[in-house]
Amino acid sequence: MIQAVDLAKVYGEKTAVDGVTFTVEPGRVTGFLGPNGAGKSTTMRMIMGLDAPTRGTVTVNGAPYARHNAPLREIGALLEARAVHPGRSAYSHLSALAATHGIPAKRVHEVIEMTGLGAVAKKKVKGFSLGMGQRLGIAAALLGDPQVVVLDEPVNGLDPEGVVWVRNLVKYLASQGRTVFLSSHLMSEMAQTADHLIVIGRGRILADAPIEDVISSQGKARTRVRTDRPEEFSRLLAGSGVTIQAPEHEVLEVSGLDPRQIARTALEHQVLVYELTPLQASLEEAYMQLTKDEVEYRSGDAQTPAAAQEAAR
Amino acid sequence: MSTMETHPFRHATAPHHEFGRPNFLRVLNSERIKLLSLLSTRILLLCAVALLVGFAALQAWGIGQVTTTVRQGGQAGPRAEALDAASAVLHLPAGGVSFAQLIVGALAVLMISSEFTTGMSRATFAAVPKRWPVLTAKAVYAVVVGFVLTYVGAYIGGLVAQPILSNYNLHLDMASWDVQRFMLLNAVYVAAVALMGLSLGALLRNSAGAIVTLVALLFVLPIIFQLIPGDFFTEARKYLPTNAADAMFEAGTASNLQNAAYLEPWQGTLVLAAYVVVLLGAAYATLQQRDV
Repeated sequence: MIQAVDLAKVYGEKTAVDGVTFTVEPGRVTGFLGPNGAGKSTTMRMIMGLDAPTRGTVTVNGAPYARHNAPLREIGALLEARAVHPGRSAYSHLSALAATHGIPAKRVHEVIEMTGLGAVAKKKVKGFSLGMGQRLGIAAALLGDPQVVVLDEPVNGLDPEGVVWVRNLVKYLASQGRTVFLSSHLMSEMAQTADHLIVIGRGRILADAPIEDVISSQGKARTRVRTDRPEEFSRLLAGSGVTIQAPEHEVLEVSGLDPRQIARTALEHQVLVYELTPLQASLEEAYMQLTKDEVEYRSGDAQTPAAAQEAAR
Repeated sequence: MSTMETHPFRHATAPHHEFGRPNFLRVLNSERIKLLSLLSTRILLLCAVALLVGFAALQAWGIGQVTTTVRQGGQAGPRAEALDAASAVLHLPAGGVSFAQLIVGALAVLMISSEFTTGMSRATFAAVPKRWPVLTAKAVYAVVVGFVLTYVGAYIGGLVAQPILSNYNLHLDMASWDVQRFMLLNAVYVAAVALMGLSLGALLRNSAGAIVTLVALLFVLPIIFQLIPGDFFTEARKYLPTNAADAMFEAGTASNLQNAAYLEPWQGTLVLAAYVVVLLGAAYATLQQRDV
């Protein structure tokens, strides 16, 4: 279990983390979601005792990280930067870390096999692809068989097979009753992996809830309508509380009316409708909604969230 | 990969009793693995030994040439050089130390600065959150490497120089206390330089910056202080690490540097020790306080 209370980190003028309070419970995968620069990595470094908080506290299994007798056994972490000397082999890197806790060589071989690094373990890390580097970081995190696993952007640079592997790994670890804390700026990844979500933006917690609740709290139910007379039909549907968008030709996205009401209007006015689909609000939209004011580095062309989504599709 | 998919996390649980807590011996072992698993360490160590040996051989040849000229021509060479031949032979095994110290110093800088430049420090200090044992373990290896390498390199250099000197009817007795003392004092000095390099690496966290600072302290400042006229700089120059070390090297010799440009041997030793203590102390304080 990880508990942060009023945790803050200020670098000179800039507040990276602004008094966050949250609890990461064991037995489930908790996603830590936020745009770049939102404070995810800083929070994780404070959990690991690498950065000292400006204010507040964070504990792992009831004690600050540095107080643990055998910290690698309590918590293992993959942190943002590749924390490996490029001139060393994966095996030497893991052996050096293992030596600090008297972890036997057998365990080093185990995590190498577990992460699929067996073939390259004796090679210099310099030549590793981004994906292999991530696997090595995960191997280091699991070395001490820790009760708490913290992974900062673990799927960055992984191939599709690696992404599925990480997804299964974190779910498996959580199913064993371990605490799994996973950061990402990719909402699609979170939607498939996390059970619980903590959303952070500009150093503040924006949401801390089960993933379904985050989606339902933000997204509005919409219906996609395809018709050969979109302009006329829009006018007929318009009313108070109704918003209509026309994302493409002959397509309307209607919110504020349910499909039955839309169908009745179509029937009354003899408008041809050839699709009527209720749309599930996605995590992506919920996330955009939550973070729209909190994005640290916005792209130059002022795309609306909807347009950005369309472009992504 | 197929086996991985069949039994993806076969080994995910290992018995807890196999694991211990970090203690100093374990950290020492971890740092040993780190030091020896880098090719750059081995290359730098080999270079330093080669430098010591090569320099001793070159000096043997040079001393022989000068002595021959003096003997043949009578008054050909400056008289002082002829008189100093014995003392030059004495100092010959450790003659390459002024250059070897830079390699050892750079290696010591890299021992800790590379942790920060590569991000390895995050893994290191997550494993050892108390932090100070890591710096202490590195300091142990810096001292061992600096001392042993200098002594062994100088010894081999002396052995290589012996047949060359014999050609010129000069004699180097490696077992003599004068030769041994000079080699041992040089080994102590290089160990001190290694500790200074390690401290600068920990303070600046930047390989190039720390190496340049070390070179400035050991090489550039003595020259600058000599060039600037004035009593202050003549006096201050005595307290620079290299000059303090030169004073220390005269410990126990009959012919002290009877020279106002140097401190007494015991003073030189204390000044050198002060550099190490102050820099290392600052390195410990910074390491405990600063974010990794």
